[in-house]
This record gives sequence, structure tokens and C-alpha cells, in this order.
Amino acid sequence: MNQFLAENLDNEKTLLLQKTLRSGQSIHYDGNVVVLGDVNPGAEIVAAGHIVVFGALRGVVHAGASGEAGATVTAFSLAPTQLRIGSLITRPPDGAAISLPEHPEIAKIKDGSVVIERFLPSSEKA
Amino acid sequence: MGEVIVVTSGKGGVGKTTTSANIGTGLAALGHKVAMLDTDIGLRNLDVVMGLENRIVYDIVDVVRENCRLKQAMIKDKRFENLYLLPAAQTKDKTAVNEEQMRDLCAKLKDEFDYIIIDCPAGIEHGFKSAIAGAEQAIVVTTPEVSAVRDADRIIGLLEAAGLKSPKLVVNRIRTKMVKTGDMMSVEDMLDILAIDLLGIVPDDDSIVISTNKGEPAVLDDKSKAGQAYRNIAARITGKEVPLMSLEESGGFFEKIRSIFSK
Repeated sequence: MNQFLAENLDNEKTLLLQKTLRSGQSIHYDGNVVVLGDVNPGAEIVAAGHIVVFGALRGVVHAGASGEAGATVTAFSLAPTQLRIGSLITRPPDGAAISLPEHPEIAKIKDGSVVIERFLPSSEKA
Repeated sequence: MGEVIVVTSGKGGVGKTTTSANIGTGLAALGHKVAMLDTDIGLRNLDVVMGLENRIVYDIVDVVRENCRLKQAMIKDKRFENLYLLPAAQTKDKTAVNEEQMRDLCAKLKDEFDYIIIDCPAGIEHGFKSAIAGAEQAIVVTTPEVSAVRDADRIIGLLEAAGLKSPKLVVNRIRTKMVKTGDMMSVEDMLDILAIDLLGIVPDDDSIVISTNKGEPAVLDDKSKAGQAYRNIAARITGKEVPLMSLEESGGFFEKIRSIFSK
């Protein structure tokens, strides 16, 4: 089921943003969103498809906003205030600050919950 | 032709008025002809910080309503012949001046003055929009607090949307000791989020409180560290390259912040 939806997403239209989204700025798009810049705290992206951030993701993002559980969120530095995929809402754990890895990460739904993994292009295709 | 610079922050209480007063006075001390505009209508402060409150006859609302001539409303500073203040009205509200009127006013002042420093009200509503309408440059003031940095980020976004493309950052009230112990956001942390050019760092300094209450800008106080920081900022606005000053005796921090500035 997920696989089927993910394939649908691949053919969707994509919005390319060549700027940093600052606090208070909001993007709603019926497709994928690619940001060449940061998404700062207080900014939000709501996309029907995937969200890819070539920079630091610190704001709120919602991928697969129209219910696509196969949508993913990828960022060079994945540190969102809140991350939503489909109908799932997640946030970083309270308390101690998490040290971020140097490599890009991807968030997706696996077995009904959101997981964050190292982004590996080859394994993604497999 | 003069340069119109708006001093803004989003959040209140981070030091917009103090920064405006010190930058204006600092530029005047360097010999430039400077006009300071207080656009915080209803909550005017710049005249108090400059120690000019008792000289106010007309204000910015009188000027835009043509109750008086621009020259009648401009108050000459008590220390510098080349420094003037156009005070805000205290009995009106922000809607008394619109964007069009601000643009006209700034255009008129540009013919007379080298620098026009606009003290912007807190917030992002009407008062903010009018204050930035006539500006060509913006200085964003923030303090090392998450809330102030968040608002600064919002303001930078709004400035960019309004065509003020490269605002400069002033970090106010930094406490080196607390940064060192990890209890306060460092300048690097702030630049990481805001990603704009750093114009200067002003240390937390008791002399600012004293000078603000006395109506004597700290920029004229040779012994004040904050005053030195503002003198450096004024010099940088005129295009001079001034390295960031040392905020402590040992000098280790100096190298660190200089390396950010030279980026």
C-alpha cells in the first residue's frame, strides 16, 4: 500500500524554493516541496508530497498532508520543531538537546510510526 | 544624497531606541549630518534617551499633517550642531502616519542629511510597516535570547519581502562569561539561524542604564565598553573596516568573534 502511494508521489509536481524560510513564512503546496536554504523555527511547510530541505530544517513540516503515508521528509540537518507525515504528528523528545549527525537524514513512516534514518540514495532505490 | 537606515527588531525591549540614539550620536560625532526619526507614535522614547524631551514643540504627526514646517519640528541636539531629532507624537497612535507620508518625509530629509536613522516601534503591524517604508537599509537588533532571535528572524523575512534585501545585525547585551559557560546563546548560534551580516556586538553594560536615564548616549563615554561598541558600529556604517573589539581581557574570545566577522 505504502509502496503504491510512494510511486504516486514520484510523479507529482514539485515546487522549488531558492531561499531560506524565516519565522512566520508559510508554504502550502499541492505536491512536493524542495527548499534550497534553511527552514527556520517558526516557519512551516505543508506539502501534499515529499519535502526536501537542502539546509537546516528547524521549523514545522507536514509531508503527505492530504493523507499520503508514503511521503518523506529529507534534510541536510533534520531538527524540526514538529514533523508530520500523513496523519502522524511527531516532535523531538523533551529535555536534553540531541546532537545532530553530520549526514543528511530522512523521516518516513515505517510500521505505523515515524522513523528517522540516515539518508542513503542507493538503499532508497533498492 | 543621504542614506535612510531603519533600526528594528520585532520584539520590544531589546534596545532599538538605545541603539538608534547611539548610532545617530556616533555618526554625528564623526562629523556627519544626522537626522533621527522616532516613529514609535504614542510611546515616544528617543527624545528622553537623547535628553531632549523638554524642547519638543512640534512632532512627526504635525509635520505630516502640515501643522508646521519640517524645520520647525526638527530639534537640534544639545551636544552636536549636526544632529537633529524629529520626535514622535505622544497623544496620537500609529495610524497617524502612513507609508506614503513616511516615504515623502524620508525623501525630503535625504536632501539635507547624510544619515537618517529611524527608530522603529516594536511589532510587525502598521507602525512597523510605515517605519520601514522610506528606508533603504535596515539594522536588526537582537539580544541573545531565543524569543528575540525568533522575532528577529521574522523581521528579516518581512524586511526582505519589503525589498530591504540585506539587513545588518546588531547583537545587544551579550555577556561573555555566560556565553563561555554555555548559559547564553553565542553570536555564532544567532548567525547560524539568522544568516545575515554582523554589524556589531554590544556587551551588557551598566553604563548604558546610567546614560539612558541621564539622557546622555553612552557612545560619548570613553570608558564605556558599550560606548566603544557603538562607536565601532557607527564607523562601520560609514564604510570603515573596524575589527570587533575584545569583550574580555584574555583575548581568546576576540579571535573567535573576529573570525566570524571576516567571513
